Amino acid sequence: MMYDYFKNMVDGVSQKLLQDPDSINAKKKYVLEIAKIGQKLYTRDEKIAWCGVTIPFDLLNSMGVTSCFVEFVGAMLSSNETAPIFIKEAEDSGYAPDSCAYHRAVTGAMLKDIMPEPDFIIGSSSPCTAGLAVMEDMARRFKKDFFILNVPQNNSKESIKFLTDQIKEMTRFITAHTQKPLSMEKLGRALEFFNESSLILKDIYNLAKQTPSPVDNKLLKDFGTVIGLIMGTREGVEICQAFKDELIDRIESQKIDPSKEKIRIMWIQNRIQYKFPIEKMLEDFGVKIVVDELNDVTWEPMDPDNPFESIAKRIISIPYSLGTNERIAHMQLLAREYKLDGAINPCHWGCRQGTGVRGLTTRGLKDVNVPVLNLEIDCVDSRNLAQGQIETRLEAFVEMLT
Amino acid sequence: MATKKIGFTCAYAPVPIIEAAGFTPFRVFPETDSKDQSGYMLHDNLCPHVKKVLDRALDEDLPELEGMVFINSCDSMRRLSDAWQEARPGDRTILLDLPSSNTDASITFLAGEYKRLLKTLCQWNSVDVSLDKLKSRINAWNSLSQTLGNIEHAMGKNFYPGLFSQYQKIINLSAMHGVDKAFLKAKEIDPDKMSPQKGHAPVFIFGNLLFDPKVFNLFEEWNMHVADNDFCTGSRFVNSVDYDASKDLFYSLASSWMNRTPCARTMDIADPGAIARKIVDRAKSCNARGVIGFTVKFCDPYLARIPMIREALQQESIPFLMIEGDCTLGSMGQQQTRIEAFTEMLEV
Ligand code: SF4
Ligand code: SF4
Repeated sequence: MMYDYFKNMVDGVSQKLLQDPDSINAKKKYVLEIAKIGQKLYTRDEKIAWCGVTIPFDLLNSMGVTSCFVEFVGAMLSSNETAPIFIKEAEDSGYAPDSCAYHRAVTGAMLKDIMPEPDFIIGSSSPCTAGLAVMEDMARRFKKDFFILNVPQNNSKESIKFLTDQIKEMTRFITAHTQKPLSMEKLGRALEFFNESSLILKDIYNLAKQTPSPVDNKLLKDFGTVIGLIMGTREGVEICQAFKDELIDRIESQKIDPSKEKIRIMWIQNRIQYKFPIEKMLEDFGVKIVVDELNDVTWEPMDPDNPFESIAKRIISIPYSLGTNERIAHMQLLAREYKLDGAINPCHWGCRQGTGVRGLTTRGLKDVNVPVLNLEIDCVDSRNLAQGQIETRLEAFVEMLT
Repeated sequence: MATKKIGFTCAYAPVPIIEAAGFTPFRVFPETDSKDQSGYMLHDNLCPHVKKVLDRALDEDLPELEGMVFINSCDSMRRLSDAWQEARPGDRTILLDLPSSNTDASITFLAGEYKRLLKTLCQWNSVDVSLDKLKSRINAWNSLSQTLGNIEHAMGKNFYPGLFSQYQKIINLSAMHGVDKAFLKAKEIDPDKMSPQKGHAPVFIFGNLLFDPKVFNLFEEWNMHVADNDFCTGSRFVNSVDYDASKDLFYSLASSWMNRTPCARTMDIADPGAIARKIVDRAKSCNARGVIGFTVKFCDPYLARIPMIREALQQESIPFLMIEGDCTLGSMGQQQTRIEAFTEMLEV
């Protein structure tokens, strides 16, 4: 089922791109690359690893491993409207509805045998306790070797050393499963691609800061998280470049409609994954999501001479690895740089890591005059969606901001 | 006797370190009449453990504390540490990073964190770090642990009415008033001089928090013989330190804490899901007829493991009852019918 889903996506998007080879088509190219990873995961030509969100995919790519974070599957199932079936399966098997639905969907998929069997599993303690727990369950069910990257919250010398050593250990763990030692040359190339992508990402985000912003409510949806899967590859660089070109083209050809940007907002953490026209609703209200919280380059360039430590520092710099104070400081910085009028926090049910500090986030942004709309919405499980209520709250929020 | 108190919330905060810095430990239990106001800072989907502790902080329902020790044991706990700084900005706090896997690298890192804790606490108390003091507090802790272990052993063999409640009081005493006081109380108990009774159903209980001694009296009224337990407010808390003289003292501490019967948040990467097997083993070794899990709501580490625990117990045909609540005596009352029906079914 999932193989067909990804294959159809790859075929369909490839065809569309062929029909229109001269246009920039950033989004389509991006969807194609991501769908190709999905297809590879279900083809099993290469060694496969299921991972946590903050695992260094550039390093795994350079070691010839097809890898992906499991929440990606939860998001896919949600976007193709099948998640409720799998979530129900997990709940019927005793997984509590109080947990994050990304994980319930993945667990249900595993129980229904539609998760491809990996060769090994690498979990990480960032972003969340629940994510690590699902990886452990996976390792148990698939009877596969399991590795954990413990990501300390304190950004100290000792923490960086601890994480650096674990990353080195992780490469030995991977080699033991692939029988291929890490090639420092390949890793160096991956890090160069990563650095190139990071520079272009910075340009993209700088362009998005302009007023009016060349982005639209969907263009960079969950981009910062998902692009991490391919940033250490040539394709990753090309995709980033395509997005940059797309934004420049919009600016130069004056395709930006200022009436769709009466209000500039930030979206906190992840977007809603199933078909729910919130982006359109916002657009109709003249609200533009100019930035997603996780769309930022928070790391220094990777140092090919000191690769493991660079990667460790990068992982620790990602907002959801941080303490709430630092995370709020980051949001406040975005608020200033993007000249935000407000923010939306979807308060994804079951997320203790992000939603957990709803009140602190709201206060922190209020301190820089950015009101936050806290929507109580499950970003993956559409079963209890109260569309009318959300519309009313959005409307009231927009009225307040205008 | 030290009177200055250091607050803590998690069983991974080693009491011997707090005492070696000249402080009395004070575990902030989630038990309070304070009004429910943590929702201003944290979402309602966080566990009542964390929310009630924050309610206490917001409502000043605490003794004078010289500082707070937080452990990055789960998302909710690290969010509590964040919220505490906002709720009581004047408090000194320290957050220790706790790895999730029990590898040698993790233990070495945790040893460093424990060393940092001792150094910080000594600074807060303006005293020098003394490893001799730490050794002596570890010895005192081990004596307590061993004495409580003897009581646990006796309870595993026979049912002594009221004994579990006394045992819990001693654990709470060690967490709130220090090891020496708890040890004196523990020494007063001699199960050999008590008369065991028959007729109650031996049950193994596990979970995160169950600390009110009165709860265990209720269990006995409901025909339960708690033959053994695994809670972070129970047997897991008074874990003895395997002191290896050839190794660094902090390493020994860290290794003992990481290798004890794990809380659901700590994993053995060589044996994913080991928690389920360990619960089965513990239940069998105390000849429990059934197992009851008590967890507070919204606890991700346990929510994720309950299905595997249920599966493992089912495979061994050990009856299992799962109770989710807010770890108070009040909430337990609502479970009477379920618990009584369960113990009845165990047919003693
Ligand atoms: S939404 Fe929260 S709990 Fe769910 S996967 Fe993301 S960080 Fe983890
Ligand atoms: S382990 Fe469970 S009960 Fe303890 S703080 Fe974390 S979520 Fe709450």
